[in-house]
Amino acid sequence: MLWLSIYFPQFALDIRPSRESTPLAITDKHGSRRWLIACNVACQSAGIHRGMDVTGALARDPTLKLVERSKSSERQAMKACGAWAEQYSNSVFFDPSRWMLWIEIGASLTYFGGLDALVRNIDENIESLGYSVRFGVAPTVEAAAIFAVAAQTGGVQHKSKLIDALSPLPIRLLNASPDTIEALKSVGWQRIGEILALPRDQLSRRFGPEFTLYIEKLVGAHPDPREPYRAPTTYRRRFDFADPIHNVEAMLFPLRRMLSELQGFLRGRDTALQRLTLELRHHKQQPTLIELRTTAPQRDSGRLLALLREQLDRTLLPADITELALTVDQFVALGDTQLDLFNTTPKRENDWADLLDKLRARLGDNAVKRLGLSNDHRPEKAWCVVHQDQPEDSVASALNTHDDEPERPFWLLDPTPLLQLPRLLGKPERIEAGWWTGDECRRDYYIAETSEGSRWWLYRDAKKQQWFLHGLWS
Amino acid sequence: MSRATALDQLLRSSPQLWNSRQVAEVRARDTGFSSLNSLLPGQGWPLGALIELLPKREGIGEMRLVLPALKKLCQEARDIVFVRPPHLPYPPALAKAGLPLNRIVWIDATSDEDARWVAEQTLRQGLVGAVLLWSDCTKDISLRRLQLAARESDALSFLYRSPQAATAASPAALRMTLSPLPAGLQIELLKVQGGRPARITLPPNLLPKPPSSEAA
Repeated sequence: MLWLSIYFPQFALDIRPSRESTPLAITDKHGSRRWLIACNVACQSAGIHRGMDVTGALARDPTLKLVERSKSSERQAMKACGAWAEQYSNSVFFDPSRWMLWIEIGASLTYFGGLDALVRNIDENIESLGYSVRFGVAPTVEAAAIFAVAAQTGGVQHKSKLIDALSPLPIRLLNASPDTIEALKSVGWQRIGEILALPRDQLSRRFGPEFTLYIEKLVGAHPDPREPYRAPTTYRRRFDFADPIHNVEAMLFPLRRMLSELQGFLRGRDTALQRLTLELRHHKQQPTLIELRTTAPQRDSGRLLALLREQLDRTLLPADITELALTVDQFVALGDTQLDLFNTTPKRENDWADLLDKLRARLGDNAVKRLGLSNDHRPEKAWCVVHQDQPEDSVASALNTHDDEPERPFWLLDPTPLLQLPRLLGKPERIEAGWWTGDECRRDYYIAETSEGSRWWLYRDAKKQQWFLHGLWS
Repeated sequence: MSRATALDQLLRSSPQLWNSRQVAEVRARDTGFSSLNSLLPGQGWPLGALIELLPKREGIGEMRLVLPALKKLCQEARDIVFVRPPHLPYPPALAKAGLPLNRIVWIDATSDEDARWVAEQTLRQGLVGAVLLWSDCTKDISLRRLQLAARESDALSFLYRSPQAATAASPAALRMTLSPLPAGLQIELLKVQGGRPARITLPPNLLPKPPSSEAA
């Protein structure tokens, strides 16, 4: 086993939608004590840093904006990261309270071309999520976590070198309660190596069996099995705006991240989507629903964002947006079209599908139509609009049955009553149909020529005793 | 190096220089009508250029004129996009004319602006076989945009406009009015890039025969 640990040092800050330029900090509380757990860049110049008490921080800068952490949104965001990470390994888990995520990479190393290439790949990819991160690599879960917090990216790949690498690190990096850390420090120990050198029974007597077990797991002397995270089969992701927003631009940052995470999730499952629902929730009002359908299976976050933007730009917002909710409940295979190197046709079909999606996004789903035939003698019912998910062969089969049909005009019009009859050419074509549905029609169709030289397709309705214009021979 | 060869080399190396004795090479597709082909510089509908068709009225054969070329494109598995046509392109007629319906896209845009946007996007994307656009737009800049988009593609780009537009200038490479005559469809070439204006009449077999004459 080889674990890559990803530590999000600014997690509570990074999950916020906006990047404030004024000092802002996230706080946590325990009893009556409140302290800072994450600070933005603007805090640094004011001399405010994480771990400070709220009173002390406010004394340095009274304008400091304080936001209490939301553990539920942190957990939610961490789950999304977990789903994203599944593209690298099927053994992923996380601890939202520690802002830490682990990926078992031992099995994926060859596939991604070695450790360096894999970490670089993850690093580039995680940048699109908009988090600041640190990596740690080690053969045990807890050691990887320590390397990540200590920002020792290189890490250790073999158990034999683990103790040497851990020993010089300060004991505050150990994942133990603050009381235990204090107790260790009070004895005079400073480095992890000093703890590792102690006999285990002595350690157990002084600091409890739980801490000893932790140390054993840290160095790999005791197995440390973890339950891998499994993202649910329906993909749901919510995002709360602390301050309601009223334009599309403000929505883009969280949306971009949501889609990047979704892309990771889809890659991890080697799947794609054709339908996505975005719900814009408002205060005390019906949410605005945005549904995106794509012609071909899709998982590219950039394309999805572009398509959503087209729709968002044309959506009228009834009120400010308090929350975004993204749902994908159906997944489809991406197909192997993207992998084909020498055949260009699938690529063309992909591009074509992308174009149709783009058109649909701006004009609406119903404006982009494919046509088909249906088996009905009534001219106005002899055709249909083919829906994009309908199989193509249902249309093709209809084609053959209509092969011996008489000529039809290029344009079909809604029947318009005629007051003056143009010159009729030739004999009529009798069309009788629909008597079995009660929607009976009995018509004699003629080709006619107007005095101005246009050719019309008209019929005389036997029941109504009236003439109608139905088509144009163009 | 002699002066003549130097000049020759220069002519060949720079696309900005053009020898008037050479006819510019025009990429074109067969219209399906040899008498019309002979009047067009590339012996057919020019590719990558806007073609303006100005029918006097509807129902005179303005679609039949382009059908042979569209059919050929479909056989090459290229798609045909109808952008905001005035009526429903009737599927049984399309199928009968040899245009497989899975190659046809009907864009039912509500505004003229959307329609022009669609045509532009489709042309720029470069995969489509033909774009047929119906637009009432008279703005020179919009037409110029369409012409530029057409130039980037190797599609047939047909623009159908009302006959009143004939008197106004247009950036299209080929413009023609279509009018019905007892002898057939009269085509008047108003503007032919790389050619000269002309007039021909295509025989009336462009139009459907009444059922009675088929029976006879």
